[in-house]
Amino acid sequence: MAMTAVAVRVHEPSSHLREVLLLRLARLAALVGRCASVGALTLACDPARSTPHAAPWYGVDDFGDTIRPPTRPARIVSLNPTTTEILFALGAGPRLVGRTQYDRWPDSARFVPDLGPGIRPNVEAVLAAHPDLVLLYGSEDNRAAAQQLRQAGIATAAFKVDRIEQFDRLTRLLGRVIGDSARGALVADTVRRTLDSARALTRGLPRPTVVMPAWDSPLLVIGGGSFLSELVEIAGGRNVYDSSSAPSPAVAFEDIVRLDPDFILASPESTKRLKQRARWRALRAMRSGAILLLDTTVVGRPAVRLGESAMSLVRLLHPGVIR
Amino acid sequence: MLAALLVAAVAAVVFGTIHIGVADAWQALVGGGDAVTRFVIRDLRLPRVVLAALLGAGLGISGAALQGVLRNPLAEPYLLGVSGGAAVGAVIAVSAGLAIALVPLAAFAGAVAAVVVALFVAHATRSRGDPRVLVMAGVVVGAFANAAIMLLLANSDANTVRNAVWWMMGSAANATWAQTAWLGAYVAAGGGLLVAMARTLDALALGDDSAAGLGVEVASASRLVYLTASLVAAATVAAAGLVGFVGLVVPHIARRLGASGHRALLLSSALVGATLVIAADLVARVALPPAELPLGAVTAVLGVPFFLATLRRMT
Repeated sequence: MAMTAVAVRVHEPSSHLREVLLLRLARLAALVGRCASVGALTLACDPARSTPHAAPWYGVDDFGDTIRPPTRPARIVSLNPTTTEILFALGAGPRLVGRTQYDRWPDSARFVPDLGPGIRPNVEAVLAAHPDLVLLYGSEDNRAAAQQLRQAGIATAAFKVDRIEQFDRLTRLLGRVIGDSARGALVADTVRRTLDSARALTRGLPRPTVVMPAWDSPLLVIGGGSFLSELVEIAGGRNVYDSSSAPSPAVAFEDIVRLDPDFILASPESTKRLKQRARWRALRAMRSGAILLLDTTVVGRPAVRLGESAMSLVRLLHPGVIR
Repeated sequence: MLAALLVAAVAAVVFGTIHIGVADAWQALVGGGDAVTRFVIRDLRLPRVVLAALLGAGLGISGAALQGVLRNPLAEPYLLGVSGGAAVGAVIAVSAGLAIALVPLAAFAGAVAAVVVALFVAHATRSRGDPRVLVMAGVVVGAFANAAIMLLLANSDANTVRNAVWWMMGSAANATWAQTAWLGAYVAAGGGLLVAMARTLDALALGDDSAAGLGVEVASASRLVYLTASLVAAATVAAAGLVGFVGLVVPHIARRLGASGHRALLLSSALVGATLVIAADLVARVALPPAELPLGAVTAVLGVPFFLATLRRMT
């Protein structure tokens, strides 16, 4: 806020920018007025106490910025494959006017204009799409872009989705933002129910341990901070690195040998690479051929296909449970 | 030189991802046209061009002054620990999860700390003002800083590593007017002081004894030039990360273009540096749309051919 004010003052504000600034100050004042306390405790605000004319309260995004979308946004730029996927599932695909070069699912996403990278996006390219809402990936190095877009008077919201619970919350939130909260709840509930049935299928069964190599050099594995670790848990297995809070911690190879997982769970491509590396023969799972091939067309990111992903993992970890 | 700078600046304001004609760009500049064009020209491109100009001018002046005072054509702020120190500061800030707004401050603190350590090391050897010792001290501090960065990054998560690496490649993409004003103040004050000391630098270039004979306090004058040049470089690093090669190559190009005497050399280094970085930032923005190239890499790619040509004519 302070930065915006400085920039505008130095730069002789156009009437549009001044309006935006005043509007924001007014909203901020309204917000402070109805909150018990400000700052990190904005979540403690009581939406029920707001006046009937106030904008609905969507909370803050992962940058801590208040989410203030226009009513029923019609031109959305989604610079995050996860939000693109969710918006299509919510039936808001036709409202997308921009995506990143990596958003390739669902197939119709390819028809949305490619605006380049989602990390350090090209702000000019985003502005050229004339969006009324821009969804960003919530990584620190996207803060400057968010600030520039907000300064241009465009609503932004940044999210980082690593875990299932974050997906659930984001899907419901996006449902409300696009003006279809019923659809948001429907999609989130469907995924939740599928996950529940996967959990029910494997209840009481022995839990094989797995290691999920994510990268070879440096050696990174999937840790407890990732949705993949949660999916393995739901599918009746246990990630040997589930105690790590990072999504993909770096580990020493010997440590994997020490933990002696029952299975190696990896994509077909990385399995091919692992087999060429002699050291992986040190693992019991590798020697006995206990390699599970992750179906990367289904298991990719924490989005709409989470339920499907859990089911495909149940098939791998407990063959025969699903007929 | 001024003409080249103006051409580069105009081109950098007119060209970009969004196609805007010269007439529309001018309209937007004076406050007309549609809101998006106006924002793109006045709040995205213009601060970027000004920031790039200041980066180039600051690094050019800093490099010219250091090459003069150390009597070493390879001297440049980055060789002397400024970049290493700044990078350690920035990487600590990034991996400690501090707000991205605090990274410039940490980088500046790191750079200043590295310069002070290098000066202290040189001082401790009792070789007062010996430029060779100062260069060695700077290089060693830089090497230590590099090792520290590797240790810090080795166990960081992917996001932190990417943030840090991007920072080390330099970029003017996040230019704001406030930031530009800060850097402008540093470059004006530091650059002004160095230009005012041009005669001292001329004397120092003749060698310590001759300079002393001309009435120059060799040790204190050298230290002042060294500190001022490093501070200017540290300010540029805080504003845009590491933009390599400018400090090294620009003074040589300026000399090649006929600048003799430190007053002319410092001023034309500022102009050449500004032109080079504005041009490099333009290339970084438009070469591979809609993605952007790292500024530090583009300055080197554009600067190296110039430098090689200069080198050939010198020998």
